[in-house]
Amino acid sequence: MFGLSNPQRFMAFTGPLTPVLWGLAAVLLGAGAWLSFSVPADYQQGDTVRIMFVHVPAATLGLGAYAALGVSSFFALVFRHALADAAARAAALPGAAFTALALFTGSLWGQPMWGAWWVWDARLTSVLVLFLFYLGYMALRASIDDEQKAGRAAAVLGLVGLINLPIVKFSVDWWNTLHQPASFLTPGSSGLDPVYLPPFLTMLAAYGVLFAALWLTAIRTEIRRRRVMTLRARSAQEA
Amino acid sequence: MLDLDMTPYAAFVWPAWGVSALVLAALTARAVIASRKWKRELAKFVAADSETDGAQVARSAVAPKNTEQLP
Repeated sequence: MFGLSNPQRFMAFTGPLTPVLWGLAAVLLGAGAWLSFSVPADYQQGDTVRIMFVHVPAATLGLGAYAALGVSSFFALVFRHALADAAARAAALPGAAFTALALFTGSLWGQPMWGAWWVWDARLTSVLVLFLFYLGYMALRASIDDEQKAGRAAAVLGLVGLINLPIVKFSVDWWNTLHQPASFLTPGSSGLDPVYLPPFLTMLAAYGVLFAALWLTAIRTEIRRRRVMTLRARSAQEA
Repeated sequence: MLDLDMTPYAAFVWPAWGVSALVLAALTARAVIASRKWKRELAKFVAADSETDGAQVARSAVAPKNTEQLP
């Protein structure tokens, strides 16, 4: 595992893996969409239950991508490892997009079910804060010309943002919120009707594999970009 | 059997799925375009360099000697 921290080995290992992930993500997304519109409507929520199949995976990956960003930031900051810095940077945009999708689809689910597009309850607010951390991370990186300084400053922000992850996860338990508590990862049994498990799990897997494909592709691109920059600088020095 | 009649919630279900599909497609397109661009840039650099005296630079672009630290 730690051998992959070597960029050359990382490129060799992920080269054949990345197309497989892209293909698997496409298959899972297709199957997940088909399953999502094959199950019956919920007896209480009607067809809005189908929003769950895009909302929950987006929210889960929004959190997961930030965990990846935070852990990578830790390694980048403590060990000054350039591949970890590339990994943190590569996780930011997909993570922000997934979090934005969670907020948007949640709002579309909330209006017919709660009668409100938005409420300032703990879960929604903490997810909005998560989205702002993503934006702050990307803005900070873009605002400093020196890439090493930008990486270090953004890594500190990335680490600070990790504090928000348990707040998002447990906000529905710690406070009275309009948002429903966790219904799938509930100890004992799933609160989700078994008929909805196949589309839900397929879409969750599809989003997970898609994120892996996006992340690995972005890290590989970042490695190539840095090599080009170095080679340009080296040839400019030699000229 | 597919059930595509979302009445009376079509105005909520289809935008949620539609925007999700658009965003995922945009993320994918951006990742693929950026990947191709830098792959092309690196290949161009290596090719141009191998025509001149910069063989060592070209070698390091493909398989840098010091791979422990990225530039």
